Amino acid sequence: MRLLLDLAIAIVIATGLGFFSAWYAIDRGFVFGRVTVSGWTAWPNAGSQSADPYSIAMLARTGEVPLGVGEGIAFTAEADRAGHPLSGRCDYRVRGQTPSGRLWTLTAYDEAGHLMSNAAHRQAFYSRELLRDADGSFGIAVSTTVKPGNWLPIAPADRFKLVLRLYDTPVTTGSQLAGLTMPEIVQERCG
Amino acid sequence: MRRTLLFVAGGVLLAGIVHIVVIFLVPYFATRDAWSEIGHFGGDGKFHVLPLAEPGSEALPAMDPHILHAVCRFSLGEGPVRIRASLPDDFWSVALFDRRGRNLYSLNDRSAERSQLDLAVLTPVQMAQIRQNPPASLETSIVVELPINVGFVMLRVFVADDSELPNATAALSSADCAGTL
Repeated sequence: MRLLLDLAIAIVIATGLGFFSAWYAIDRGFVFGRVTVSGWTAWPNAGSQSADPYSIAMLARTGEVPLGVGEGIAFTAEADRAGHPLSGRCDYRVRGQTPSGRLWTLTAYDEAGHLMSNAAHRQAFYSRELLRDADGSFGIAVSTTVKPGNWLPIAPADRFKLVLRLYDTPVTTGSQLAGLTMPEIVQERCG
Repeated sequence: MRRTLLFVAGGVLLAGIVHIVVIFLVPYFATRDAWSEIGHFGGDGKFHVLPLAEPGSEALPAMDPHILHAVCRFSLGEGPVRIRASLPDDFWSVALFDRRGRNLYSLNDRSAERSQLDLAVLTPVQMAQIRQNPPASLETSIVVELPINVGFVMLRVFVADDSELPNATAALSSADCAGTL
């Protein structure tokens, strides 16, 4: 009887912990090869032949088609510079510089990763339409209300995330990512 | 008590094995992976142009709304496949994936150094066979050797605004992924 009970405990721990940890690793993206640079997260190996089993499992679950290393790289930010989660009730400013690349786009998604509808019918910003300062740096207002200059409208969602995609960029491997200059996301006003 | 602790420790060890097995098996049981989703757009062996991503209508998850996508599932079972497209001058890229969504090859317009995309995709065995008597088309194509039976290819074309959409759509609609060498 004792043996059966012990066995049952071992089996419950093995399956429960095994499945939960696997689900947690895949669902939360806590996988090897995740690189975070000033608040922006990328999975540089997801789009390469050497993608690890966690990345492959994650892609299989989401159905996402990653950018290949020869195409570009995508960075995701879910929090501002101070570490607070991005909220549709606040105004933000994305400012500074991006790493070198021929083209980039900045897109806002809701928490589940879907595009958000807004009155301006605009979900993304791309590098060539940007108004830059004299020193080449830029600032993009991320807000639910109309802003002068570069404005990326969002919906008043509880949480949202920003994805910066660099196309045709030399920086797509993990070691190159570490020292990158990424734009910073600054919270301006919360209503 | 000590014996129970031993079983708990054994359970944790086993959990590690279960964890690894689950991670490796997930792709084989995933029903909504890219391969399956792409199958919903139409038959294999030809490119399907996906509508530009808009709120409420995204063909695939996490699409860039400034990129027009076209996808094609292909098979190397009946011989090598030639992927050809005449694409706009602006940014475009191509990526090849295996059945499980692993990226095996990718290229953008600048590294291709031309606006004509011409890829010859072969298995190593087919490559060895063809080397005896290489067809002329192999000279002009970019040769990609992939150890797979089936896979899919995605074409991405940058679309700055709606005025560029007809041009990009036409280019992707005429793309071909069922050519022979």
